[in-house]
Amino acid sequence: MNEILTLLKPRLYSFKNSGSSAGAGGLRFRVYVFGAIGLAFWVGIFAVFFRVLTYFQGIAGLGDLLAVKLLSMVLLTFTALLIFSSIITALSKLYLSRDLMLVHSLPVAPRSIFLARWIESTVDSSWMVVLYSLPVFLSYGVVYGAGSFFYLAILLSFVPLCLTISALSAAVVMAVAVILPAGRIRTLIVAISVVLFVVLLLAFRLMRPEELTNPENFTSVVQYFRSLQTPGSALLPTTWVFDSIRAALSGARASSIFHLSLSLSFAGAAVCGTAWLSEVLYFRGYARAQTTPGRLFAASPRRPANWQKVLGLLSGPARAFVIKEVRTFFRDQTQWPQLFLIGALVAIYLYNFSVLPLERSPIRLTYLQNTISFLNMGLAVFVLTAVAARFVFPAVSMEGDAFWIVKAAPVPIRTFLWIKFFVYYLPLLVMTEILIVVTNLFLQVTPFMMALSTVTVFCMAPGVVAMAVGLGAVYPDFKSENPAQAATSFGGLVFMILCAGFIGIVALLEAGPTHAIFMAGVRNAHLTPLQWVWTAASFAAALTLCAAAVYVPMRLGEKRLSDLG
Amino acid sequence: MKATVEESGTMNGNVMIELRNLTKFYGDTKAVDGVSLAVKAGEIFGFIGPNGAGKTTTIRMMGGVLAPTSGDILIGGIDMAKDPQAAKQMIGFIPDRPFLYEKLTGTEFLRFSADLYGVGEEAFLERSQRLLRQFSLDEWGNELVEAYSHGMKQRLIIVAALLHEPRVIIVDEPMVGLDPAGIKMVKDILRRLALGGTTIFMSTHTLAVAEDLCDRIGVISRGSVIAAGTVGELKAVAETQEADLEAVFLRLTREEAR
Repeated sequence: MNEILTLLKPRLYSFKNSGSSAGAGGLRFRVYVFGAIGLAFWVGIFAVFFRVLTYFQGIAGLGDLLAVKLLSMVLLTFTALLIFSSIITALSKLYLSRDLMLVHSLPVAPRSIFLARWIESTVDSSWMVVLYSLPVFLSYGVVYGAGSFFYLAILLSFVPLCLTISALSAAVVMAVAVILPAGRIRTLIVAISVVLFVVLLLAFRLMRPEELTNPENFTSVVQYFRSLQTPGSALLPTTWVFDSIRAALSGARASSIFHLSLSLSFAGAAVCGTAWLSEVLYFRGYARAQTTPGRLFAASPRRPANWQKVLGLLSGPARAFVIKEVRTFFRDQTQWPQLFLIGALVAIYLYNFSVLPLERSPIRLTYLQNTISFLNMGLAVFVLTAVAARFVFPAVSMEGDAFWIVKAAPVPIRTFLWIKFFVYYLPLLVMTEILIVVTNLFLQVTPFMMALSTVTVFCMAPGVVAMAVGLGAVYPDFKSENPAQAATSFGGLVFMILCAGFIGIVALLEAGPTHAIFMAGVRNAHLTPLQWVWTAASFAAALTLCAAAVYVPMRLGEKRLSDLG
Repeated sequence: MKATVEESGTMNGNVMIELRNLTKFYGDTKAVDGVSLAVKAGEIFGFIGPNGAGKTTTIRMMGGVLAPTSGDILIGGIDMAKDPQAAKQMIGFIPDRPFLYEKLTGTEFLRFSADLYGVGEEAFLERSQRLLRQFSLDEWGNELVEAYSHGMKQRLIIVAALLHEPRVIIVDEPMVGLDPAGIKMVKDILRRLALGGTTIFMSTHTLAVAEDLCDRIGVISRGSVIAAGTVGELKAVAETQEADLEAVFLRLTREEAR
């Protein structure tokens, strides 16, 4: 036990010392910002569930049934999140962390190393899920007037649920790591999860939930309610947790304690079983993880696509960085499933517009089509922002420890950043323009709206990409084990907030004049001189903002990288 | 006891590297304290000192990887602060740790370097093949860098640094991670390059390598150059006639620490 505590100490000391290290002031500020946003989400979740449960309570007969079904769905969602998070975290902690070489050289039993890592993994993978599940259960307790035993049962139920999922995930990871190198497993898991997510999303979308707005389809809703009565399998740990919480909510203490005991005893057995398994499998898998996995596609002996000719117009340094960027991006297998995900989401996005039940709306069709088209401009740029946050924002951090090559090269940092910009700008501009043009064709908008949308997106896309590159350079993380996670860092948050502001301001600037021009077209009238001035000023301001969104972040990023060290 | 520019090299004629009062602060800590040095064309200059003395910081500033707090770095007469691209074009920089783009093959990384430094296609093909063969990497050219050992990565970085035939080579701990055959190979190549007029500035902990290879040696301690010259001159400064550089080094750095 002492060994395990000792192995956990570096993590505890690092946490303790983070407040006193250089840059602690900035860190504290980030903690406050993240804390405030996290608290807002927490309160928001509570408010939403409180509102929904209060509404359910008002539906005689069906309300309680819906509340119970919602509880089981919430538990199922949290369980799915816990499983995914536990597998990924266990894989990183057990096989991919940088300090493992040092830890395995210590005179400590592999089982102790496993248990210390597993404890860290359990805490890391579950704390956030537990934290954000609390407002949900709190709202149940408040709405249904549950006693103190309910809150105790909630806390006690989550312990075995987290332990069981974490232990079983670690066992699965250890078993697979004996067969496959750990680096490949991560890609595999991410790929499977993304495929599952896309399949679920497609299945949900193809059910056409918008048809529920049609009263003629209400018979299917009645059938759905009948299916709510179906209980879960009595052999699943999640069912025990669910039964325990439901019993506690209705005041049936004995039943709650019984199911709680089942959960706890199973969790104990799962932890002991996994600890035993670790003696047999852990070190074998770790040793296997040290070998570099073979390439999925072998290098061709002759030179592949003749880049020199394709990129012949570029200068040597520009060509070097473009080729490097494209190759390293596509050879990183963790990018593949995410590209697939984006493809699927774009397809769903377009499909949504093709099936919009506009004709059933009481609002005049032409007006509605063009209003949606205007709002869709903002939505398409927000999709671009989300994609840029995932792929472009981490682009500078992806240089990692090899950033010295950029600093030592006879190429200005400005050139390096602009090359990054253009590598991502061109494909993302094409993606966003496709989104906007195809959705406008589905909406059958006026030529004016089509022109306005395509030109606006054309002007905003460089701003979003430049903010991603520039702010990615302002907040670089060259030491991260997974630079792609930069999107969820403080800098990533700043990028998202600024982009949301950028989209909002451009939309506000264009909304008034667009409405005036559109209505003039509908009424076959001309704009007044004042409206012309207003239109010109608004569009000029939007254009200036787009130019500033390109220039300012790129300059800030250049300055930050030049000063680095 | 600080060495001045005049003491550590001639200022006229063919000086290729010149450091003037180079200083670097990390927060409140002075890592490099007014270092001034001059190294002539074709000279191999060794930079030795205890851990944390400021060797790597100085070398990184010379390579343009790190900006000095104050002072000047001139490479072939070009000021690193005023025209960093032109100065870097003359340098082959070899850091102490071989961090590379893991998802490129060895040959692709060399082509990347060649493009950055403006090496033409024909010259690239001839030099990359020759150097890869010379550094026993010719069979690994089409493999991803992530499959290379530490020593192989170090050799690949050296190949990349030599590809554009730099007039100045700045190298931090060149022998780290290399096997004895690799060490001998690097020593021979550095010697040959120096004979051809290339200036070499290297930091090392391996005093035997410094003694064997360097024309002159600078000793840095606590951020300052405390002595510079040939091994004989250093012995005189240290007031010792003991046979090896290790004794001289220990004496000089111990005195400075007092």
